[in-house]
Amino acid sequence: MLLSLNRMGPGRFGLYAIGILVAAFLLLPIVFIAALSFGSSRWLAFPPPGWTLQWYEEFFADSRWIDAILVSIRVGAAVMAASILLGLPASFALVRGRFRGRELLRAFFIGPMIVPLIILAIALYGLFLHIGLNGTFIGFVAGHLVIALPFSIICISNALESFDESIEKAAIICGATPAQAIWRITLPSIRMGIFAGALFSFLASWDEVVVGIFMASPDMQTLPVRMWNTLRNDLSPVIAAVSTLLILVTIAILAVVMLVQKKRAR
Amino acid sequence: MQQEATAGLRAAAARMNRPARRSEGRYALPAFFFLFFLFVVPLSSLLLRSVTDPVPGLGNYAQLLTDQTYGKVLFNTFAVAGIVTIVSLALGYPVAWLLVLLPSRVARWLFAILLLSMWTNLVARTYAWLVLLQRTGVINRALMSLGLTDHPIPLVNNLIGVTIGMTYIMLPFVIFPLQTRLAAIDPAIMQVAAISGARPTQVFFRVLLPLSLPGIYAGGLMVFVMALGYYVTPAMLGGTSGMMLAELIGVQVQSLLNWGLGSAAAFILLSVTLALYALYVRSVGFGQVR
Repeated sequence: MLLSLNRMGPGRFGLYAIGILVAAFLLLPIVFIAALSFGSSRWLAFPPPGWTLQWYEEFFADSRWIDAILVSIRVGAAVMAASILLGLPASFALVRGRFRGRELLRAFFIGPMIVPLIILAIALYGLFLHIGLNGTFIGFVAGHLVIALPFSIICISNALESFDESIEKAAIICGATPAQAIWRITLPSIRMGIFAGALFSFLASWDEVVVGIFMASPDMQTLPVRMWNTLRNDLSPVIAAVSTLLILVTIAILAVVMLVQKKRAR
Repeated sequence: MQQEATAGLRAAAARMNRPARRSEGRYALPAFFFLFFLFVVPLSSLLLRSVTDPVPGLGNYAQLLTDQTYGKVLFNTFAVAGIVTIVSLALGYPVAWLLVLLPSRVARWLFAILLLSMWTNLVARTYAWLVLLQRTGVINRALMSLGLTDHPIPLVNNLIGVTIGMTYIMLPFVIFPLQTRLAAIDPAIMQVAAISGARPTQVFFRVLLPLSLPGIYAGGLMVFVMALGYYVTPAMLGGTSGMMLAELIGVQVQSLLNWGLGSAAAFILLSVTLALYALYVRSVGFGQVR
């Protein structure tokens, strides 16, 4: 009876109220920042005195913002590729390998997810100061890859676990070499897991800010790091415009993911 | 002909059962070495620094645990993490419950809102709260026009701001595990309780709540651990009076170049995190962690 709304009695109105409240709480900053980005007040007064696209113009006219986006995309793409290249064989080892310490290795691979980012950030910062990687493309990719690799390993090994290995064996019996069987049967079958791993790796890098704050140099910073550094100086409405663009990208990605899920469910 | 086929099959079988099975672990080596050099080595050198910089010994740890300024940071960290956990659970439980109960058409929208807030860029969300909570911000103006207060309340650059911002970020992380747990409960159990004469409140406190405890425990522990080590939101919304451990670590290392103290603080944070994480793994079972 507590697992059915109709039979719950008046208690359900309390549930509705909290549900609406929490939904409003979750939407508030998102809607608010989108509204502010079109407001004409430099001091972020709300409701704004008028509406304007001025902050978007400032954003697109400033090459430093565009550079930061390009850095984010380049780093994200490299992280995505590297995390699949390292994660795919590692997942095969974790799922198929029969060796001692396999569970330990699995725990080791998800280790970076557990360590607080700030600790990882200063540890890498210290290391990179020694070998001169701070503020470099390679440094960003390496730092973000530490964070992204667990995502790709989890996604790919989950897909691999639910793949029926006997199909691969059947291919071998039919005359395929093991390499052919993996390339033509196994990899296409687990492609959704690989795509998910790639997507999460890209997003992990795209959204990463803590490691980036410590690693960035004035002429090499990702978009979130540039936002962070700009915010240290003032609460410029340009940030509201950037944030709104990022929210739109998020909505687009979510919509695509939901459409794909809907299509697969059918 | 048949012989040929048998021979072919035998060869295929040999390929499949090759003893090389054992060595498949070697495919993990590239990832292993990568994480070894960029995860194990830097963390180890940090640990080393905490006991050697500026002088060998446990001085850094002693200073962190005895100095009042640092004591206050430690207190802030645990207090905020505790409050955020409790508030997130209190707000998240009914929402998780609703997600199970609502018709899927409505629940999907609630899911979408949760995912949207979770996936929106962290700096963007925190910036939004910074603007919302400032002295002349919307929240203060609303409070004043409602007559709840006659002067702006300092909601940001202190622990109130951090708590609001962190609760916002952590809500999805309690709602999703709780929702999974609640969805797994068999409704028949509650019917039995009702048929046996229990009132709804009794069914809630004596059946539903105890059955959802594993979800509460797991979600709460997860949020507590994450809140302890969070950097961006506390650093942006906390100001100097609301400093937390992660920001202390950052400031010591980046601004004061005090690597020894920063590393020692990092290791206190890491030890607490690992200990609580071990508890989490025990409470949900290792299979669920992935």
